[in-house]
Amino acid sequence: MFSVFGITDPAIWMGYALSIGFAITCIIYGLINWNRGGREDGS
Amino acid sequence: MAVDPVFTIVLVLVYVAATLVLGYLGYKRTIHAEDYLLAGRDSHPVIIALSYGAAFISTSAIVGFGGVAANLGMGLIWLTVFNIGVGILLAFVIFGKKTREKGAETGAVTFPDLMGKIFHAPKLQLISGTIILLGMPLYTAAVLIGGARFIETTLNISYTTALIGFAVIVAIYVIYGGLIAVMYTDAFQGAIMLTGMTLLLVLTYIAVGGVSAGHSALNAMSGLVPEALAGQGMTGWASMPELGSPIWFTLVTTLVLGVGIGVLAQPQLVVRFMTAKENRALNRAVLVGGPFILMMTGVAFTVGALTNVYFYEHMGKIAVDAAGGNVDSVIPLYINMAMPDLFVIIFMLTLLSAAMSTLSSLFHTMGTALVCDLWGRGHKCAMSLKANQVGCIVMMIISLVLALAMPAGIIARATAMFMGLCASAFLPAFSVGVYSKNPSKNGAVASMITGASIWLFYTVFVHTAEAKVLGISQLLTGSVTILGAPWTVIDPLIIALPISAIVMIIFQLSNRVAGVRCQG
Repeated sequence: MFSVFGITDPAIWMGYALSIGFAITCIIYGLINWNRGGREDGS
Repeated sequence: MAVDPVFTIVLVLVYVAATLVLGYLGYKRTIHAEDYLLAGRDSHPVIIALSYGAAFISTSAIVGFGGVAANLGMGLIWLTVFNIGVGILLAFVIFGKKTREKGAETGAVTFPDLMGKIFHAPKLQLISGTIILLGMPLYTAAVLIGGARFIETTLNISYTTALIGFAVIVAIYVIYGGLIAVMYTDAFQGAIMLTGMTLLLVLTYIAVGGVSAGHSALNAMSGLVPEALAGQGMTGWASMPELGSPIWFTLVTTLVLGVGIGVLAQPQLVVRFMTAKENRALNRAVLVGGPFILMMTGVAFTVGALTNVYFYEHMGKIAVDAAGGNVDSVIPLYINMAMPDLFVIIFMLTLLSAAMSTLSSLFHTMGTALVCDLWGRGHKCAMSLKANQVGCIVMMIISLVLALAMPAGIIARATAMFMGLCASAFLPAFSVGVYSKNPSKNGAVASMITGASIWLFYTVFVHTAEAKVLGISQLLTGSVTILGAPWTVIDPLIIALPISAIVMIIFQLSNRVAGVRCQG
């Protein structure tokens, strides 16, 4: 049976994949927008 | 516990001293009321992120929900998906920046004040403040009780002493240092929590034989699910419950959606957006906040489920049976049995940090709601440093009395209840308020009252988990709930929030139509 790190139920490993994916999205978002939204760019 | 009690007490004293020093730094930086209420609107991004996360995650998220994962399995990971996707990404990116901008534009200093000012309706400040003062003490009492029970067993002191001592230590730095002290101590406590939970994850995978081996072992235990749970739809600890079964409804509606969405409109968290000087600080905070929450709830739920593997290997029992049937005892028992002595102390400080950081935010939000939004509303005293300090003292005493008087059953439900109430009452109006240029104030009033009323009615008369403990439905109608399944297991938020949103949308659209007619 197909498993991801020993987890066979897709509804569970997808939950893990999404959690980690969202956390990585947060990191990328923070890095991309690191200097956006400051006084100097008028926002 | 084999940990040296003298060493434990010394470490706790060092921790409390460090917390009070940070509280003192907050006190020294608190000069004006705006410093006390909004940390001078100039907080560092890392402090915003850790403070938001630490206030968000209480002891119940780690011990209580970790125990729920031990009982119901890894399906709870979907709450982590919502915690990060909704509680951080959506909250900071969609709501956070607009909230900060509106806060700075209107000069609002509290969440109710913000609601009143963006809708140009002072009565909204009054309604929001009232909902906070009615709902938040219950949640605060639950956090207080959770912390005190934990201190009682760890330091071997009486429950009442633990309760009062815990409340007073937190109150000292909240009263004197305001939101600056709250955020400084939150950040310190957040760093301890991050260390503790990272170690917990690593040591747990070592204890169960590795990542894949541990998960496979948990998968193989599905035949051990107790009959009572299997009959309600549970299929195993590494799989989701049967779609539409009572356990599925509880897991998805109350735990995942109820708590996951409920976090969006919590006043003590919303106010943190207003402490940022620029949107840039919120962008940077997202970078820290997402991984922080993953390491809090993601680890708690994973470890909670995996305790079944550990207890089965060492005691021949599933986790809840090993803990004598008490879900809340699973994580403490596991820590004491499976973890090295030094980690027991680190984890104790982690839990103490989680409880203190949440409690300090709640004291501060309630105290300022009492003074700024109710008692002193529209008067000079609303911005008085002393009056706000008195407000925090009053609300600390009320929470303490409530913690001593409330029955244990309702306290266990308080986290989900508070989040459900906040989302049902505030979320639709808050969303329209921060985004619309011409938000409907009648819509906001109607939406808030409708959301809160329906949530209350459903909680008291339909949702079994609360209706049974409250006993009001039984008293008035002769039955625990007035509706049957599946309504009795669907969280009140799932019913109240859409209705509250529809009310807001109808008023907002009619407002727009009226605006177009006027222009025409």
